[in-house]
Amino acid sequence: MVGKDCVAIASDLRLGSQSLGVSNNFEKVFNFGHVFLGLTGLASDVTTLSETFRFKTNMYKMREDRLIEPETFANLVSSTLYEKRFGPYFVGPIVAGINSKTEKPFICGFDLIGCIDFAKDFIVAGTASDQLYGMCESVYEPNLEPEDLFETISQALLNAADRDALSGWGAVVYVITKDKIVKRYLKSRQD
Amino acid sequence: MSGYDKVEYALEAVKRGTCAVGVKGKEVVVLGCEKRTTLKLQDPRITPSKINKVDNHVLLAFAGLNADARILIDKARVEAQSHKLTVEDPVTIEYLTKYVAGVQQRFTQSGGVRPFGIATLIAGFDENDNTPRLYLTEPSGIYSAWKANSIGKSSKTVREFLEKNYSKYEEEGTELSDEETIKLTIKSLLEVVQTGAKNIEIAVMKPNRVIKYLDNDEIAKVVEEIEAEKAAEAEKKKPKH
Amino acid sequence: MDIVLGIQVEDSVIIATSKAFTRGISVLKTTDDKTRVLNDHNLMAFTGESGDTVQFAELMQANIQLHGMREQVDLRPKAIASFVRGQLAKSLRSRKPFQVNVLLAGFDETTNLPNLSMIDYLGTRVDLPYAAHGYAAFYTMSLLDHHYRSNMSVDDGLRILKMCSKELSTRMPIDFKGLYVKVVDANGIREVDFE
Repeated sequence: MVGKDCVAIASDLRLGSQSLGVSNNFEKVFNFGHVFLGLTGLASDVTTLSETFRFKTNMYKMREDRLIEPETFANLVSSTLYEKRFGPYFVGPIVAGINSKTEKPFICGFDLIGCIDFAKDFIVAGTASDQLYGMCESVYEPNLEPEDLFETISQALLNAADRDALSGWGAVVYVITKDKIVKRYLKSRQD
Repeated sequence: MSGYDKVEYALEAVKRGTCAVGVKGKEVVVLGCEKRTTLKLQDPRITPSKINKVDNHVLLAFAGLNADARILIDKARVEAQSHKLTVEDPVTIEYLTKYVAGVQQRFTQSGGVRPFGIATLIAGFDENDNTPRLYLTEPSGIYSAWKANSIGKSSKTVREFLEKNYSKYEEEGTELSDEETIKLTIKSLLEVVQTGAKNIEIAVMKPNRVIKYLDNDEIAKVVEEIEAEKAAEAEKKKPKH
Repeated sequence: MDIVLGIQVEDSVIIATSKAFTRGISVLKTTDDKTRVLNDHNLMAFTGESGDTVQFAELMQANIQLHGMREQVDLRPKAIASFVRGQLAKSLRSRKPFQVNVLLAGFDETTNLPNLSMIDYLGTRVDLPYAAHGYAAFYTMSLLDHHYRSNMSVDDGLRILKMCSKELSTRMPIDFKGLYVKVVDANGIREVDFE
């Protein structure tokens, strides 16, 4: 979600196999410098891709002697996913971050083969994406301050997750501003 | 250059390598080697050893080019694991020796490669067997079984020493105890290692995958014993007035 | 229908596996050990397609042993979990994937901490305080959710395991012929008397 000079990214913490909940501390948001990546979908691919991007961004950092910017990273995600066009990773990625040069907030989402979906307000992904769309459409307003953005994204996630049997079991929220990153864990229904 | 010449060069590399010794006892096999003197700033704890574990029940000591040894040892280790994976049983010492010698032979014959500049002593016990095993391989791919032998620099001196001293036990019809085997190994090394205990490395193998590396103090103790014996011997020989 | 259960307690990990080897409707063996020792402080328990399971377990065992031999340092539990996960994730997109689910019980000698990782054939890895694969999870997780405490002793763990075993005996449709129970701690891997 985009706010005024800030962005927020959040995920639930559930990992399950079908109906059985397996873990309630499986984080799906990863950061590479000041760029954040949310990964939903097949947990195996979530881990594999997060490791791949850690590798690629570390290599980028050494080659360029600077951290990767959100826009660049989004294209890296896109091309990495499209490489596996005919045997894709089963994921729904979201990128969020603030460009350190222009100081502009940036968010985008992808389909599983890397088509980028740029947005200026919010991006959703995962099993509760329908519910999230509903929540975001009704709760979101532009130019929120960081603290309000936190409240908005948290309410959107929590209430969407409660309407989805496969989501929930706790949540994690990052609020990202130019020079500060705040990470908060949300307690939520454990059923 | 013919393949034969290249083997000659490899043999030369072995002769220049630091000395390694292997001695079999009744229920023990001991490997010993001369440690290259560590330089002032070298870290002896993380400098690779010349006695290497190939599997839990096999040790390999070498003389020659360190870099070549690393490659050969790695091939041996992979083969040991692979063998265990396919037929469940761990490799026999003879099997592993044949494999190592086989690799060495292959590198004398094919084009674009050079032979391994190392000789190896392969020691250990087969699974569920208390018979000590000791083999030697050479750059040409020859392998042979021994009661005791040495490779590397001044190996001839050491071998002659071993021949002389091992036969004592054979004449008596006794076999070497663990302590005697360790002592003989160190004694033979002292023939060529001037600097004494701190430049000797000893590994003692017993049946059922028991491996013990002697520490400096333990070696020093044996060295002292040997020197005391030598002194006593010299005292006896001294002409009486 | 195989049972593979793991419980991490204060200073060790307990692993329990069913003794029955079943194919179709027949029990072919009642002393099947579904674990392999990876190194001195790491044990792997497995279920899945018979044939694949032992092949995969022993392949991992060989690789981890080889690493120990090459580097003179044994792989630590987290490293093993990462390695095994990587292998399964790679295998998933191969011509014939390994259909193997594993639990890794390990004790890290550097940090002096026990570790329990659960990895399925897809390459999904989670580190958990207690875990089970297959149907056993449906019957045992509720018991563990209720009774588990992170500072339990091995004996406490074995007591919960006994409850799990009892529940499984009553609920499982076929006899699983009892459990082999192993404990991984600072002293290595040992089998404990159960029943």
